[in-house]
Amino acid sequence: MGWEEKQVHGYPEFVQTAQRYHGRPIFALFCGDKDAEGRSWCPDCVTAEPVVRKELHNMPDESVFIYCLVGDRAYWKDPNNEFRKNLKLTGVPTLLKYGTPQKLVEEECFKAELVRMLFTED
Amino acid sequence: QEAAKYEKKVMVLDFVMPTPLGNSWGLGGTCVNVGCIPKKLMHQAALLGQALQDSRKFGWQFTEEVKHNWMTMTESVQNYIGSLNWGYRVALREKKVTYENAYGEFVGPHTVKATNKRGVEKLYTAERFLIATGERPRYLGIPGDREYCISSDDLFSLPYCPGKTLVVGASYVALECAGFLAGLGLDVTVMVRSILLRGFDQDIANKIGEYMEEHGIKFIREFVPIKVEQIEEGAPGRLKVTAKSTQANQIIEGEYNTVLLAIGRDACTRKIGLDKVGVKINEKTGKIPVNDEEQTNVPYIYAVGDILQDKLELTPVAIQAGRLLVQRLYAGATTKCDYVNVPTTVFTPLEYGACGYSEETAVEKFGEENIEVYHSHFWPLEWTVPSRDNNKCYAKIICNIQDNERVIGFHVLGPNAGEVTQGFAAAIKCGMTKEQLDSTIGIHPVCAEV
Repeated sequence: MGWEEKQVHGYPEFVQTAQRYHGRPIFALFCGDKDAEGRSWCPDCVTAEPVVRKELHNMPDESVFIYCLVGDRAYWKDPNNEFRKNLKLTGVPTLLKYGTPQKLVEEECFKAELVRMLFTED
Repeated sequence: QEAAKYEKKVMVLDFVMPTPLGNSWGLGGTCVNVGCIPKKLMHQAALLGQALQDSRKFGWQFTEEVKHNWMTMTESVQNYIGSLNWGYRVALREKKVTYENAYGEFVGPHTVKATNKRGVEKLYTAERFLIATGERPRYLGIPGDREYCISSDDLFSLPYCPGKTLVVGASYVALECAGFLAGLGLDVTVMVRSILLRGFDQDIANKIGEYMEEHGIKFIREFVPIKVEQIEEGAPGRLKVTAKSTQANQIIEGEYNTVLLAIGRDACTRKIGLDKVGVKINEKTGKIPVNDEEQTNVPYIYAVGDILQDKLELTPVAIQAGRLLVQRLYAGATTKCDYVNVPTTVFTPLEYGACGYSEETAVEKFGEENIEVYHSHFWPLEWTVPSRDNNKCYAKIICNIQDNERVIGFHVLGPNAGEVTQGFAAAIKCGMTKEQLDSTIGIHPVCAEV
């Protein structure tokens, strides 16, 4: 079957989507919101996104890739935002395998090798 | 990782043979997965239980009865361990160290065969090899041991609460596990063949045993199990243990939910093809003798860690030895690993920190007339309000009279022993004398001022 992508915006939509696909491998990339021209306020996210997208074909069959825009810069900077509080995210971009401690944060997402390792690890 | 720093091409072969009950784990070795890390976390869980009891005397009011949930604790601990396993994977990748989750064994000079869990074999050659295969728990060799008993390899990820537990052994592993299991509210019995904590200061070992007994842990001394049978299956089930006295012809029986074996660990050196490359091992213990540069009898093969003969089995020692070895090989350094005056801590309910000689070893080496022992009981301030024992905590130092009363042994029994001991270990390394110790003003009110 391959894999499929779901694009979500904000925490409640993320949780809903992740729960819907419970039982399948779920990978999520969290990035800062994009403006009208499609550019994110987070420069590292701009760098990471193409790297991650190039490696998506390495995800196991049946995987779900959730591309999640977290919010604007002010929301993200708030230390009590739901992503920080509940998912324990410390920075954007973050690429993680949902339900496991496996994740890549910020510059780690620029490295194709590490992204590939995350997608193919047991 | 150290070797990769010096631009060497490095590969790591790590593979965990599953336990008899099918348990396995990720990258990081014993300490991270089934040793120090989960042990200390569970010890902490038990201490927090005690703290909750004490808190009422300090004015905290809560009416609910406080109970412990084994699954919640285990899940948190395993989650943390998982993040460490992943962290190591990322670190190795970033430093360009090739990692294979495969079982390595020598098949010929400079050649190793790696077999992964699917049975696929690959051959690798290298200029140099470092063996750090560590140890695994020993089994008793009695009927029912592998089928029904667990070891520390299984305990920290046990998917059910162990219930009423029999711990077999008197090693620090046995006592630490018995300690935190009892601290979590479980019914614990320890079966000891002869003495507690062989190799440690016996005066202190006995105090530790006494403390544990006074706090509800049962001890059956001078018995060994001869048979384990299953009465009822389950998670946990019910087991019947038959044991024989080491002194007389007495046989006893007991029923437990879980039997935890902690009678020793054996080096993983017998099935890695050492005979194919001529590395000598001690046939009886399986340990590898090395020179003071961690080199085996085969010049291009080195070894570090618990598998070394006559060296301390401690994580920081292995790490230090490994790092220094690489620095000597590739960075022109000459420092050798110093195995003397290595501080340790046993995380029993009453913690024990030590550095240097035990009283017995000091007497043996220097003669009773040449050593002076200074000791004191102390009552931690934090224990006064909740009326906890006032004469259990204890500290002693052993001095060499012939050498300016240099402190050659430091022992402390009390809370946070590990934190207290670390600083004194540095002082001992600098050759502190009793006079210098006396002239150091204490911090008040802390246990360490004693």
